[in-house]
Amino acid sequence: MPFNGKSGKFNAAIRTVEIGTGDKAVKLGGECVAPLYSFDAPIENAPKVGVLITDHGFENESEGIKAYYEGCSNWGEIAQRAAAMEGADFLVLKFDKADPNGENAPVEDCLAIINEVAAATDMPLVIAGCKNAEKDAEIFNKAAEALQGKNVLIFSAKEENYKGVAASAVLAYGQKVGAESSVDINLAKQLNVVISQVGVDMGNIVMNVGTATAGYGFEYVVSTLDRVKAAALGQDDAQLQMPIMTNVGDETWAVKESTASEADIPAWGPVDARGVNMEVATAMAVLASGSNAVILKHPTSVATVSKLIKELM
Amino acid sequence: MLITMSLERGLKAMLINRIFNGNDAVYGLTVGAIDAAIAEHGADKAVGFPDTAYCLPCYYAVTGVKVKTLGDLKEAVGVVKTLMTRNHELDDALMSGVATALCAEFIEALKYIDGAAPYAEPCYGHLSDAIIRTLGVPLVTGDIPGVAVILGSAPTAQEGVDLIKSYQAQGILVALVGGIIDQCEELGYKTGAGLRVVPLGKDVTSVIHIVSVAIRAALIFGNVTPGDAGALLAYTAQRVPAFVNAFKPIDDVILAAGAGAIKLGFPVISNETENIAEVPGALIQQLDTAAMNATSLEARGIKIKVTNIDIPVAFASAFEGEIIRRGDMQVEFDGSRVDCFELVQSKELSEIEDHKIEVIGPEIDEFEVGSKHSIGYVVEVAGKNMQADFESVIERKFHSYINCIEGVMHTGQRDMIRVRISKDAYAAGFRAKHIGEVLYAKIKNEYDAIVDKCQVKIYTNPEDCTKLRHELAVETFNKRDERLNSLTDEAVDVYYSCILCQAFSPSHVCVVTPERLGLCGAVSWLDAKATNELDPNGPCQVITKERVIDERTGAYEDVNEAVKKFSQGAVEQVTLYSIMEDPMTSCGCFECICGIEPFSNGVIIANREYAGVTPLGMTFPELASMTGGGVQTPGFMGHGKHFIASKKFMKAEGGIERIVWMPKELKETVADRLNKTAFELYGIENFTDMIGDETIAEDPETLLAFLTEKGHPALGMDPMM
Repeated sequence: MPFNGKSGKFNAAIRTVEIGTGDKAVKLGGECVAPLYSFDAPIENAPKVGVLITDHGFENESEGIKAYYEGCSNWGEIAQRAAAMEGADFLVLKFDKADPNGENAPVEDCLAIINEVAAATDMPLVIAGCKNAEKDAEIFNKAAEALQGKNVLIFSAKEENYKGVAASAVLAYGQKVGAESSVDINLAKQLNVVISQVGVDMGNIVMNVGTATAGYGFEYVVSTLDRVKAAALGQDDAQLQMPIMTNVGDETWAVKESTASEADIPAWGPVDARGVNMEVATAMAVLASGSNAVILKHPTSVATVSKLIKELM
Repeated sequence: MLITMSLERGLKAMLINRIFNGNDAVYGLTVGAIDAAIAEHGADKAVGFPDTAYCLPCYYAVTGVKVKTLGDLKEAVGVVKTLMTRNHELDDALMSGVATALCAEFIEALKYIDGAAPYAEPCYGHLSDAIIRTLGVPLVTGDIPGVAVILGSAPTAQEGVDLIKSYQAQGILVALVGGIIDQCEELGYKTGAGLRVVPLGKDVTSVIHIVSVAIRAALIFGNVTPGDAGALLAYTAQRVPAFVNAFKPIDDVILAAGAGAIKLGFPVISNETENIAEVPGALIQQLDTAAMNATSLEARGIKIKVTNIDIPVAFASAFEGEIIRRGDMQVEFDGSRVDCFELVQSKELSEIEDHKIEVIGPEIDEFEVGSKHSIGYVVEVAGKNMQADFESVIERKFHSYINCIEGVMHTGQRDMIRVRISKDAYAAGFRAKHIGEVLYAKIKNEYDAIVDKCQVKIYTNPEDCTKLRHELAVETFNKRDERLNSLTDEAVDVYYSCILCQAFSPSHVCVVTPERLGLCGAVSWLDAKATNELDPNGPCQVITKERVIDERTGAYEDVNEAVKKFSQGAVEQVTLYSIMEDPMTSCGCFECICGIEPFSNGVIIANREYAGVTPLGMTFPELASMTGGGVQTPGFMGHGKHFIASKKFMKAEGGIERIVWMPKELKETVADRLNKTAFELYGIENFTDMIGDETIAEDPETLLAFLTEKGHPALGMDPMM
């Protein structure tokens, strides 16, 4: 498919979705230009950077991440440390341990972490699950209830659980909801449509169209993001005008380039630097393709990406 | 005729009168109670329900006014009076029902004055907002498929409890009012919100507490603005799957309350026979308590999801390819030797008892090990959205369904089926009736959008099978074939888009018409139609064909708009019948490619399986690289095998007469149908004999010599370019 590059302001715009409350609240989306094309028209809300915290703690993280959180003795302190990262706009809590196919941590454990974090910080919160649709629905329901009034983003409803997740997050407890699909514009759009049919206003939806690490079939991601933005802005497709948030850190820190030890592959150099490079490269690529927010792990990545965004705005 | 009409009119008038009477009685009581309360506490006394942000939720939702004091309440009852119009029309009666419900809410609210706790175990009375938020989510997702309100005393306590149990087993939330609560206590039947059986209270007015749930659900989950009564009624009618089971005696007050339920869209099913008249879809008589469940579900249009398949062996796609050897089989049904068939038939809803599975004839136990028998299974389905066209779509899935059973093998279709059941499956307890269970569960699950009710008849008597095969099955198959043959592009009003493969071919859209199936060969017009019905937001969308641009090439404005929309602007226009002018695009999964052969004015067709070189000097993969990925290359087009014999195949360029070369194998596959079409269109007999293949020519010169020798019609046609 030939690329028809076109510069200029569109007559359509991405919806603005706010998460969090008070001074720290962040606005996602709102732009009427191609990704990062601030020279065509001002981009009202610069892309945002979130910091990922998982319930596994930092035991298995890279040295740099581990060192950054050193000395934290509870989830409140961890949240405050994460919030203090240079360039951090919001926090993401992810509950990997809750997966029934893994440790199957009970929902109460997740809630305990959520309550501790919510009490310790006023940063906007994003609540992510464990990838098991059924368990996620449970966690999200309880989290949305516990965090009433905090305007958090429940990240995310999927095809298998969208009814329950969207209804409980947005309708019952007034939060925002993510719509997660796997790198396919039609599935993304279909999910937006069916979520809105549950009764959820489109202005409460943030898309999570999925990602890969740069170099790992990443062209699918670029093509999907590209086409979503082209349809949303070029064709004024209201069902695709939601801002997009992408969980980059989770993907990039799992690939060989970010995990293989220096002892195994001396030529590649230190693990930490490699991981940051993978994370920054992927984050900038999804931002350049249309994502409105990225979720990262490493403090250096967060600082680098947020600085890059500032320079480009 | 006149007599029945006047009788009906008389009954209706009687019903309306009784509702008015009931409403008046409740209104009188309400006014009295409010006045008494004001006399006792003063007009400024606070009134309301605990743990709700919606004051008196029903009144607030209907009027948008928050009642906070007894004085407000006095005003509110005046507003209620305005709803109580007394024209002798059904609508007035139903509005009086709503007025009755609001009065009930006022009476109940008075019980809570001064923080009183008027309800004691096991009764709940008012339900808090928190309970509604937790119940609301499963209601929205369908995990709670319905809400049953049981009112009064069942004929016996046991019958009452059995009815509750039947709803519980379906996941339906049950609210109890009046005598049924005592009946549960009498039998020691456990109740409670956790068990989804909620006793509200003994007074009939306590029914308002479940109405309040429905109404707050509309406010919370339906974004209904308080005071927007129209939107409220639309939400409860469309989104809250509630119904009422009212046991006799039904007095005027209960009837008036029932009218309120009907106005909200909740049908009332009752065993009352005295002084009552049926109102279709709203007030329904059912004398048999055991049948109330089915009657209620049908009246409210509630479908229960089938989650597990009740068979003694495993069911998974892992068993789909399982082969059962002669030595391992317990019994075999073989359509090539004896009469066998499988069939889906659509019926009226009233003709079907859901989940009825009958084995007519001997069970497998009575057959000798290793023996061969007849079998015929008829799956009868009914549904508001069911169409006869979908029968074959469902039936085609039987092969996969039955094969997924551990220890069962299925081949063929229609009346040419073979089913083997293994000794292991038999030993585990698998019988013929379980085939019915599997078909029932899978159909109800996968086709729930079109199938509301389903029953299965399994015939194992050879006489039945012979008779039904010829009189029922073959008849039906013939009718379907006739329908397929008569299904032309001109005969239908709409086409369908298909974007199933856009994940890897982003700018491609198939336009599926009756005579041009999807280029992958897997999606026919009927399939697309069924897909659209099953999944209205899915990959197949309706394309109208009202604005013709050019009949000859099959160009339509509607089609172009759809293609542009679904390709996100990548493709602006396509024709249905031309390979030269805006040919339809291809993803990459086409069965065949046809390409222009300039020497003979014709086209060659290569199928995916063909590994050699075509007379164009290109192989299939080389041709594919020119047409795939949603690119329009005039002169080349991807398509399905079935399309080759279509009268619409490159109709704009003269049709199938242009075909000059095909691989031998493909030629043989399509020969019968292609020859038939050629004869019908041009009167040419054995047209395929004129078409070259790789055994005749692999280069254009040899091909041209062969075509000249055969007098191929393409040679005399206008050049394509």
